[in-house]
Amino acid sequence: MAKYMLLLHDDPTSFATLSPEQIQKVIEKYVAWGTRLKQAGLLSESHKLTDEPGKVVRAPGGAVRVTDGPFSETKEILAGYYVIEAESYDRAVDHTRDCPHLEYGGTIEVRQVDDMGA
Amino acid sequence: MDPARGAPPGSDAHQLVDHLFRNRAGQMVAWLTRVFGPARLGLAEEVVQDALVKALQQWPYSGIPDNPAAWLLRVARNGALDILRRDVSFRGRAGEIAAEIARTGDASGDPIALDGLLRDDELRMIFLCCHPSLPRDARVALSLKTVGGFSVAEIARALLASDAAIAQRLVRAKRQLRDAGATFELPGGPDLEVRLESVLEVIYLLFNEGYSAHAGDDLVRLDLCGEALRLARLVAGFGTTSAPAAHALTALIAFQAARMPARVDGAGDIVLLEQQDRARWDPGLIALGFAHLERSAAGPVMTAYHIQAAIAAVHAGGVTATPWATVLQLYDDLLALNPSPVVALNRAVALSKVAGPARALETIATLENDPALANYYLLPAVKGRLLAETGDRRRAATAFRAALERPCSQPERRWLQQRLAEVEGTEATESTKERN
Repeated sequence: MAKYMLLLHDDPTSFATLSPEQIQKVIEKYVAWGTRLKQAGLLSESHKLTDEPGKVVRAPGGAVRVTDGPFSETKEILAGYYVIEAESYDRAVDHTRDCPHLEYGGTIEVRQVDDMGA
Repeated sequence: MDPARGAPPGSDAHQLVDHLFRNRAGQMVAWLTRVFGPARLGLAEEVVQDALVKALQQWPYSGIPDNPAAWLLRVARNGALDILRRDVSFRGRAGEIAAEIARTGDASGDPIALDGLLRDDELRMIFLCCHPSLPRDARVALSLKTVGGFSVAEIARALLASDAAIAQRLVRAKRQLRDAGATFELPGGPDLEVRLESVLEVIYLLFNEGYSAHAGDDLVRLDLCGEALRLARLVAGFGTTSAPAAHALTALIAFQAARMPARVDGAGDIVLLEQQDRARWDPGLIALGFAHLERSAAGPVMTAYHIQAAIAAVHAGGVTATPWATVLQLYDDLLALNPSPVVALNRAVALSKVAGPARALETIATLENDPALANYYLLPAVKGRLLAETGDRRRAATAFRAALERPCSQPERRWLQQRLAEVEGTEATESTKERN
């Protein structure tokens, strides 16, 4: 089993017009999705990231420069992440197929944690 | 475990109570409208929406917290305090408002005290939504939006209007409240009586919208009925607004709601009262109806809600069959109090059970040119049934065809088509016989 990070990107402004009832339904779907992974013993951790765009640190020419960002072309931001266990990339991707995040216009980036053969 | 987290996804995760967000949104908007003042109703709505969206952003990762309602209230409170710091237009009042917000925060440790506080605000909010400066359709839309926690799109679906029309109606209503200098206090004395009448009317309209189901989304309509019952119980259960008419309306809604599960069969087809499986009527709601009916009898006041509740009680109390003579008598009373053509049509149905279809058809004839019923499919539908009972299948078919021309829901349409097929089938057999 390898570890995979599921990075959830979304456009938070798209939630503004959801009704309270719809918001509750969406939350219930996410929780049901997470519960299935957890019960299968596959969910290691999950965290929301704070809403501000964060900081980007670079050192062009050796001098460290910190900027706000990253600002991408799209309105999507990295909202949070899950770490799950799966037998293969394909299985990891399979676990995202029924994630409600996709139903509501979000994007999921799947990355394998490289254990360097340890 | 991280103390900031609630039930992690997958441990026996907390479930959300049905409509928790919708109901809590209404309460929190009411609370912030009191705190900010009715002129800033729109701001209160924004703060609450932000709190709900924060839950949507957080809970998928952290799980549902131990006390979701308190979580939402805390986030809304912080959002409100944030706005007070940023929005210079609050200037002089910011300190006072912040203190009031903190006061609610103190109560949040005591769920019962908090519930009482929020319920009070919610009740005042209904009365604000029924302010005399607003036209009736605005009262209904605003009540659904602010107290009911329905979105513009949901209200539009429920009231068969466009999103744009509802949005505009709400914007205008909020402006009118501001211009009228409406306050968040319950009116007193004779003003209370007038306003209560308007509140009950709005609740009655809400229920009817949901119950009659002319068209549109069934689920939203069911929610309308549930919301109407909730509001009626809120008004009837509150000291100064607990008038006999409020109990009568609550009883009426409870009785009608009790029969809802039996109104359609497994295929989604309409089941008429006489054919309904009475075992499917909700006994809890019927008991609730009788409890409120009893309390509605306090005092000399007799409203149309009283009589309608009594009619519904007669139906609900009939174990195997309806005592139609009693129902007819009640319709006579109701017609005297509220001489509307819809009541007259309902009375005609009761009359047909007592005195036969021919007598009822005489009443129908007097209603046929009433402009108020020009688009009402039930008039020709009832006429068709009565004609079929008299054996006049040809004219019954004409009546059912006329009913199908008028707006009605899909289940109603199917019911009419089945009746039409029945009378046409017999008609066809008869004409075949004639030819032979």
